[in-house]
Amino acid sequence: MTKNKAKVGVYICHCGSNIAGVVDVKDVAAYAQGLPSVAAVKDYVYMCSDPGQNIIKEDIKHLGLNRVVVACCSPSLHELTFRRACQEAGLNPYLFQQANIREQCSWVTEDAALATVKAKALVSGAVSRVVHQEPLEKREVEINPNTLVIGGGIAGIQAALEIADGGYKVYLVEKTPSVGGHMAQLDKTFPTLDCSSCILTPKMTQAGSHPNIELMVYSEVEEISGYVGNFKVKVRKKAKYVDEEKCTGCGICQTKCPIRVDSEFDAGIGKRKAIYTPFAQAVPNVPVIVAEECTYFIKGKCRACEKFCEPGAIDFEQKDEIVEIDVGAIIASTGYGVFDPTPMAHYGYGRLDNVITSLEFERLVSSAGPTGGKIQLKDGSTPTSIAIAHCIGSRDEKYHEYCSRVCCMYALKYSHLIKEKTEADVYQMYIDMRCFGKGYEEFYKRLSEEGVKFIRGKVGEVTDRAISDEEKGKLIVLAEDSLLGNVMRVPVDMVILCVALEPQADAENTARKLGISRSADGFYLERHPKLDPVATTTDGVFVAGCCQGPKDIPDTVAQASAAAARALAMISKGKVEVEAATAHIDEERCSGCRICNDLCPFSSITFDEEKKVSRVNDALCKGCGVCVAACPSGIISGRHFTAEQIIAEIEGVLA
Amino acid sequence: MSFEPKILGVLCKWCSYAGADLAGTSRKKYAPNVRVVRVNCTGRVEPTFVLKAFEKGADGVLIAGCHPGDCHYLEGNYKALRRFQLLKKMLAQMGIDDGRVRLEWISASEGERFAVVVNEMTERVRKLGPFAKNGGSNG
Amino acid sequence: MTTETVTPSQEVAEILLQQGGEMLRECYQCGTCTAICPWNQVTTFTIRKLIHKAQMGLVDFEDQEIWRCVGCRLCVDRCPRGVDVPKVIRAIRRVVMDVGAGVVPHALRIADKNLAGVGNPLGEPREKRNDWAKSLDVKTFTKDTEFLYFACCYQCYDSRCRAISRAAVNILKKAKVDFGILGAEQVCCGESLRKAGHESLYQSLARTNIEVFQQAGVKKILVTSPHCLHTFRDEYGEFGGNFEVIHTAQYISTLIEEGRIKPTKRLGKRVTYHDSCCLGRYAGMYDEPRQILQSIPGLELVEMRNTCQYALCCGGCAGRLWQETLKGERFAETRIEQALEIGASVLAVYCPYCMVNFEDSLLSSGKSESLRIADITELVEEAISA
Repeated sequence: MTKNKAKVGVYICHCGSNIAGVVDVKDVAAYAQGLPSVAAVKDYVYMCSDPGQNIIKEDIKHLGLNRVVVACCSPSLHELTFRRACQEAGLNPYLFQQANIREQCSWVTEDAALATVKAKALVSGAVSRVVHQEPLEKREVEINPNTLVIGGGIAGIQAALEIADGGYKVYLVEKTPSVGGHMAQLDKTFPTLDCSSCILTPKMTQAGSHPNIELMVYSEVEEISGYVGNFKVKVRKKAKYVDEEKCTGCGICQTKCPIRVDSEFDAGIGKRKAIYTPFAQAVPNVPVIVAEECTYFIKGKCRACEKFCEPGAIDFEQKDEIVEIDVGAIIASTGYGVFDPTPMAHYGYGRLDNVITSLEFERLVSSAGPTGGKIQLKDGSTPTSIAIAHCIGSRDEKYHEYCSRVCCMYALKYSHLIKEKTEADVYQMYIDMRCFGKGYEEFYKRLSEEGVKFIRGKVGEVTDRAISDEEKGKLIVLAEDSLLGNVMRVPVDMVILCVALEPQADAENTARKLGISRSADGFYLERHPKLDPVATTTDGVFVAGCCQGPKDIPDTVAQASAAAARALAMISKGKVEVEAATAHIDEERCSGCRICNDLCPFSSITFDEEKKVSRVNDALCKGCGVCVAACPSGIISGRHFTAEQIIAEIEGVLA
Repeated sequence: MSFEPKILGVLCKWCSYAGADLAGTSRKKYAPNVRVVRVNCTGRVEPTFVLKAFEKGADGVLIAGCHPGDCHYLEGNYKALRRFQLLKKMLAQMGIDDGRVRLEWISASEGERFAVVVNEMTERVRKLGPFAKNGGSNG
Repeated sequence: MTTETVTPSQEVAEILLQQGGEMLRECYQCGTCTAICPWNQVTTFTIRKLIHKAQMGLVDFEDQEIWRCVGCRLCVDRCPRGVDVPKVIRAIRRVVMDVGAGVVPHALRIADKNLAGVGNPLGEPREKRNDWAKSLDVKTFTKDTEFLYFACCYQCYDSRCRAISRAAVNILKKAKVDFGILGAEQVCCGESLRKAGHESLYQSLARTNIEVFQQAGVKKILVTSPHCLHTFRDEYGEFGGNFEVIHTAQYISTLIEEGRIKPTKRLGKRVTYHDSCCLGRYAGMYDEPRQILQSIPGLELVEMRNTCQYALCCGGCAGRLWQETLKGERFAETRIEQALEIGASVLAVYCPYCMVNFEDSLLSSGKSESLRIADITELVEEAISA
């Protein structure tokens, strides 16, 4: 097929009124008719619909089109759709080009005349480019059937179990000494009020003992290389100073250790030892020694744990270990962090006793927590009134603009637990009650019936300055009851700040290792917010749970299962299509200068010493085009991004 | 009639093109003067592309890619940066005002920023006037 | 009883948006502003409701409540949507002052008339603007002078506040700063008037000053009022007035740092500092005034309970200074109590409005014996005159 004989079909989509409401599509169509090589022009209300695609297919068959241009939305949305349509009509999918006249034209331009001019230019660019496009064949590579799951909270556990149950190997990497994540810290779960441990612990045990799951706790992913189907991962297994094989999990070491530090698991309201498992049901039930806290490591003596360990499992000589694993797919389920309300000084967190965060309350109310589930003030007494302040650090453009989604519901749960365990009055200071899930609104009704007082207004300030006898010795919560239009001064004993869920502190770093993007709020970016919420921009990397955005347990589990399903689908197919648009070196004309060899970030170009020419390894090439742009002889071509094609498009859009 | 500059936008498909799409889905309005060509990576951009654009009637060229460290191909944007510096020297020798070219890092989440950059660039080039009248070739 | 039909008025809402109330739309009615608004410590002022009425175009322009907000910005710092509440209130007031709906409070109308007539809110004659400087031998600004010193209307005419401008001049002379003053052609900076909503008159005042400054060749302006600072620096640019504006808080702390003036005379007093809204929340200057105070030998600096970004307004911003506030509802009274509570014998201020308000409240409280109100400029002058 030569370019002279190119027969281009151009299709202009109205996208309802999304495009046609601004761009004069008829005018664009008339313009396209006059462009060189154009054999057919049509416009239609929704090109991506079945009838729309059929127009293209029919034209390819009956008019003998050999190039197709669709002017519609962004190629990130429908390039695949139209490529498939071309393929189904017998046209190589790489002979299709999309002009983006919606996201980058009709949606961003107010002036209809100028938008139409721009749409014409974009169509002209696409037509000009498409005649230079060459047919390419999709390549397939074998898929390594192992999967890496990063993060052992409920999302990671769920995803790992789904894949393992499907019969494939999973590496589950968790950075703390036990799987379980935040869910293990929770007491009850809304709206059913079933005990969090009771539903989580069996899953943790399953994950710990599943023959297809290799659990790597106290470990972190250091480096990821490779590509979909064939990732190489380096994992740092931190030294535990405890021999897992020998340890029986009796726990005597923890009772003997003299060092007490704040427990991360208990959100700082409880203590742990320098040798510890985070909680009683930890999986695996093997403690770790934190060298920075251990007297032996600091002062060279103590070894109390060693003396009392009957099986002799303590091993102070252990070193960090780097383990290399090969996997075909990666699921990131790295979870969330909680917002630190200290900067909002007017709430008194850190300054006023008994102003606590929601996670601290969660540990306080847990029967396995430091107080055995007794809701108490710092002085040990039982509160007679508690205020729950919603939206601290969320729905606030100074901190996090988004809604954290779970706070309204856990706040209701707290109200219930407080009512159940104490006689305390409970006040909820809220902006909007967001009870959208199954059984959630019903739970809200139930709590209203239990006598919780709802004040519609955000807490403005928490102070200990009493202005009346009634307020003496209390925390006074200031909020406007916006339904009454009155400012309330509510004296209470305890204030619970419902703090925002936020991206993990190391989310940026992890995203870089994974080669995925983050959205403006800092959470991992899914490939499409609606239609592809578990995939990412990097093939073979999926996301699950709160690392992608705040969500509750049911949504997390659903997303984790979805991510697992995506990984399983890939694995069961055994092969995956990879980039066809790779670089190609014309060996006849290669001067053998080797400039490209070092430039390639994927080491895909090797030098043939015998022939003195460079050569691209198609399996490794990702098609970035760096070598293409750099070749001094101009003899490397980037398939589907050749200089000829790009320049043709540039000429086209500027015409 | 007021001068409407023609600006060529060369955007990497991973970050900046997605950022431009986000500007669209967020309905951020910006100057309609930029015409976008999508490339796989800014590392693919050859200086010839820019020269060709000026020859074919562009009044300005905006190249945008991923932030340093975020390149989908690891380091294509660093290579683009180095090439861009050379390109600017070359343009200076040809008497082309360096306000007509711009290299920016725009991520997939920076729709707003894309709009701002396009508006700034359009205004700047508008002030510089049409390229052809200012000593450039009349292609 | 019948139900009265109330329909949101798109027209009024649009006018408010045009008058600079764009941020109205951001408000999601959480009530944080009402909860922390200082007015609610002394009376009831549901600012959130007023904003909602504005969103709906249902503002009652005859309601005197629209004049209450002092523009202290305490709520702006905490609003989760970042709504600039004083700007919304200003838009409402503009509809009254500029568009002509509703009723302007009597006292505000008088100040407004004075500003229009003689260029200062006190209604004093223009030609007496520089009387404060008589006998001080201050040179007139010429284009070779480095700084223009601009005294606030109160520092020109008010008998108490004149001491501040005089003190400023003495300090500058002692530090051998090259500065001068301009004459009666200057007018009020207009900052408070703008917040009170009379935009057209504000703009004419601003243009007058800009023209006077530009004709005299002014580049740098020293001010002793943070209100002048705010509008000269942050607002005059809109009308082509671009000057380097420096408040003496900043300048004096530099003079001390560089050793050009040396506070040597002891002041064996407990002093507390009241952050003015314009110097604090508007300009972010919290450290400089405190640094200056701490450089005075023997001075013990103590803090009141609401301090720095949480400071309580004196009650004088946004045109409130010109209006009567009922006894028992004055923030200045609360502030004086707070100062006495911590055993301070001097309440230091850095703003003429605060000075006027505090002196007023101190007098009516009958506690003049136990507390002295002093501008930091005055304290520095005393400390270097050893």
